[in-house]
Amino acid sequence: MITKVKIHGYRIFREFEFSPNPKLNLIVGANESGKSTLLEAMALALTGRVNGRKASEELNPYWFNTSLVKEFVAKRRAGEAVAFPEIHIELFFENRDDLQQLCGAVNSEVPTMACPGISMNIVPNSDYMDVLEKWAQNPSAILPVEYYVDDWRDFGDRKITNRPRQLVTAVIDSRTVRSTSGVDYHLREILGDHLEPAERAAISLAYREVKASISEGALGPVNMRIAAQHASLHDRPISLAMDQSQRTSWEGAITPHIDDVPFAMSGQGQQAAVKIALAMSRQSDRANFVMVEEPENNLSHTSLTSLLSRMTSLAGVQQQLFVTTHSSFVLNRLGLDSLLLVGAGGASRIPDLDAETVSYFRKLPGYDTLRMALARKVVLVEGPSDEIIFERVFKDIYGKLPMACGIDVLSMRGLSLGRCMELCAALDRPVAALRDNDGIEPSQLRDSVSAWLSSGRRDLFIGEVAHGRTLEPQLIHFNGEAQLRKALQITSQADLLTWMTREKTESALRIAESSVALVPPEYMRSAAEFIHG
Amino acid sequence: MVNHLTLAVAGSGKTRGIVDYCAAMPTDRRVLVLTYTQANQAELRGRLASRAGDHPEIEVMGWYTFLLRNFARPFLPFLFPGRRVLGFNFDGRPHRMAKGLHRFLDSSGAAYACELGRLANELIEASGGALIRRLQCIYKEVLIDEVQDLSSHDWEIIDALLHSTVDVHMVGDIRQAVLATNPRSSKNKRYAYADSIHWFREREAKGILEISESSETWRCRPEIAAFADTIFEASWGFPTTQSRNGTVTCHDGVFLVRPQDVDRYVDEFRPLCLRSSANSGKIFNLKYVNFRLAKGTQCKRVLIVPTQGIEKFIQRGTRLGPIPAASFYVAVTRAFQSVGVVLAEPGNSALPFWKPFGDVMSESNE
Repeated sequence: MITKVKIHGYRIFREFEFSPNPKLNLIVGANESGKSTLLEAMALALTGRVNGRKASEELNPYWFNTSLVKEFVAKRRAGEAVAFPEIHIELFFENRDDLQQLCGAVNSEVPTMACPGISMNIVPNSDYMDVLEKWAQNPSAILPVEYYVDDWRDFGDRKITNRPRQLVTAVIDSRTVRSTSGVDYHLREILGDHLEPAERAAISLAYREVKASISEGALGPVNMRIAAQHASLHDRPISLAMDQSQRTSWEGAITPHIDDVPFAMSGQGQQAAVKIALAMSRQSDRANFVMVEEPENNLSHTSLTSLLSRMTSLAGVQQQLFVTTHSSFVLNRLGLDSLLLVGAGGASRIPDLDAETVSYFRKLPGYDTLRMALARKVVLVEGPSDEIIFERVFKDIYGKLPMACGIDVLSMRGLSLGRCMELCAALDRPVAALRDNDGIEPSQLRDSVSAWLSSGRRDLFIGEVAHGRTLEPQLIHFNGEAQLRKALQITSQADLLTWMTREKTESALRIAESSVALVPPEYMRSAAEFIHG
Repeated sequence: MVNHLTLAVAGSGKTRGIVDYCAAMPTDRRVLVLTYTQANQAELRGRLASRAGDHPEIEVMGWYTFLLRNFARPFLPFLFPGRRVLGFNFDGRPHRMAKGLHRFLDSSGAAYACELGRLANELIEASGGALIRRLQCIYKEVLIDEVQDLSSHDWEIIDALLHSTVDVHMVGDIRQAVLATNPRSSKNKRYAYADSIHWFREREAKGILEISESSETWRCRPEIAAFADTIFEASWGFPTTQSRNGTVTCHDGVFLVRPQDVDRYVDEFRPLCLRSSANSGKIFNLKYVNFRLAKGTQCKRVLIVPTQGIEKFIQRGTRLGPIPAASFYVAVTRAFQSVGVVLAEPGNSALPFWKPFGDVMSESNE
């Protein structure tokens, strides 16, 4: 199993390091944060390939971290003899007996440490240093990658040319298969690993025999006719036979069928589901790495649910799963404790999330936990009306919406404040939580969540009992009936509190859009000031 | 842990023994076959390919390659953090006063062959067990051919292997030890060259090694085998060589050849002419092979131009030191049928002089 990943200079990652979970890793991050790049880098080091093609063929200037290249160019222009930018991807494996072939101390760890591992290095080709130096006299941001080489090694400093047999890697991307052979490189790898050597041999033999029988059978009379016709035209005999070369081996002719429909013809969702199932169900005692990119793509809600339950049941001791996702549903279902939050500098794990909290969210997979994970700051409110009013209050004070300040206002909609606070604490997010006092002393309410509060970072804001049990009486208390009636534009016959309590969301919307000045309840103002910082 | 050393005499079919052993093994056993010389590696590879080609897990490797791949390259950072072995320097030697990294690697990062054993040995310790664990996991068994050729730090490495879970099988002829890994090294001088037998006996006494002896030669005639045995003092404890060569020709055994008869002897028998080094035997115009290079070859007859030490040994029975004794032993045991030694004065030697045909006739006429 991969215990550590170190990336230097690859795309968005200038310096990147993270330690994945042994079984399941849910990689989450904002757009452009490097989720896919992380999987790509890991697959590159594991298989020597990117998108199924060899690193040396795919190598291009955009692999290099732009800030490193920019620095290099600037320093060279300034006459400093700095070294050329390089890419290093290191994967550290668990120190297991069957991986010792890859063991050694040739890695970047300090102090020196020996463990199994592999590294993919994209470095200048020393044979062309003179050409590179010449180029560097007038460098540009586009590195001349034709003078770079990929140097793939294990930690024992031994060059690797083919994927080490101990490392079985399956990459499942959401791209669909439309290649001529019906099967893309990744799927062919997966199929190849899926079959026992004896089965492969048997298929190969049978396929050759079929081809031979066509050569001898149907083509026999044809060849006789050709021989008779063309004998006079050419002094050597011409005949037709089946191509027996490697290019036409059975791997290219065999394709999975789903319900008798060829793989390439089935739906995108089906394709992804089949790939995942094939990759994960291999009965193998070898280390398996399965990488799945955004399984939620192209799948209906029900298909996704069954796929996820499959993935959780198949994730075993020997399989380490890496899943990128944009979906809170996937996140909650697979387990929040496996969440890895990726940014350009590293990936943070959630430490010590209570198992009950994990299962709480697993049962409520619809809840938008991903927003909590991705927001810079979080405001937790009880319902939509609180959300709407808070946003208005915040805008009144700071002139812009919370979102513009990286603050996500989340409505808990009946979820336990404690669970949400625990998750935010685990994610180390700054939080302002607002709740109604419901007639209970605020200090008493604080007790139940005090474990997750942190001075200046996470706090709970509750209106005083004397100012009203919920948001509506609080608003009336601070603004007065007349002012509110104006904002809500309701007739004087209606009872204000009754109307507001009945039409919670409607009244919140009217207040939010009203041009009438609003005095925020005290706890809401403090919350806004707290979270704005 | 089954560690085994087979001490065999020249011509007993050591290499064949290794090949047969490999062929009889389960096909999935991960085995490393190590040997010192390039020629022997090629020989072993070829024979294994024809006799044990269904064993994909058998790997043949030279001793230096073994040290580079499993010791120096993976674990160098334990002694020199951040440094890598970038090549192999067979001929070069570090400066006498070289310290640290420069003692082991030249300016281009290539490891000196002569210091590789010491480096490997230091890395066993420095890696804190990681090195030996890696070896144990990769190889179930290590076979070492021509084990007598290893020296100095190599013995320490063998010792580490003997104490690991890897099964070590060694085959060698202590009487043949004429190659040395690092002639300048003084480490383990006690064990150098033919003295190595004592080292093995020590391990046997500790119970980590079984030694068996194979003293049958299919090559040398009984007279030659018997003479070769006398080169080493009885105190070495070598078993008596048994000859299985029953072929009879017109000229079998060990003979002295007078200098004036050399040309006629060569004309008549076409022997392989052996000398100690390029500086010896200059008075005769013969096509020589030096003792060292004769290792591993065999031929019907040899003619040896002796060193002063060998002369004294034949004339007066004065013992040769371990190294000259081993060289002389190699020279003598190259022959199937006859060995000639060029010598003017027989001294106390009981060896017969070869008499040219004409001389035999005139003697009988007297």
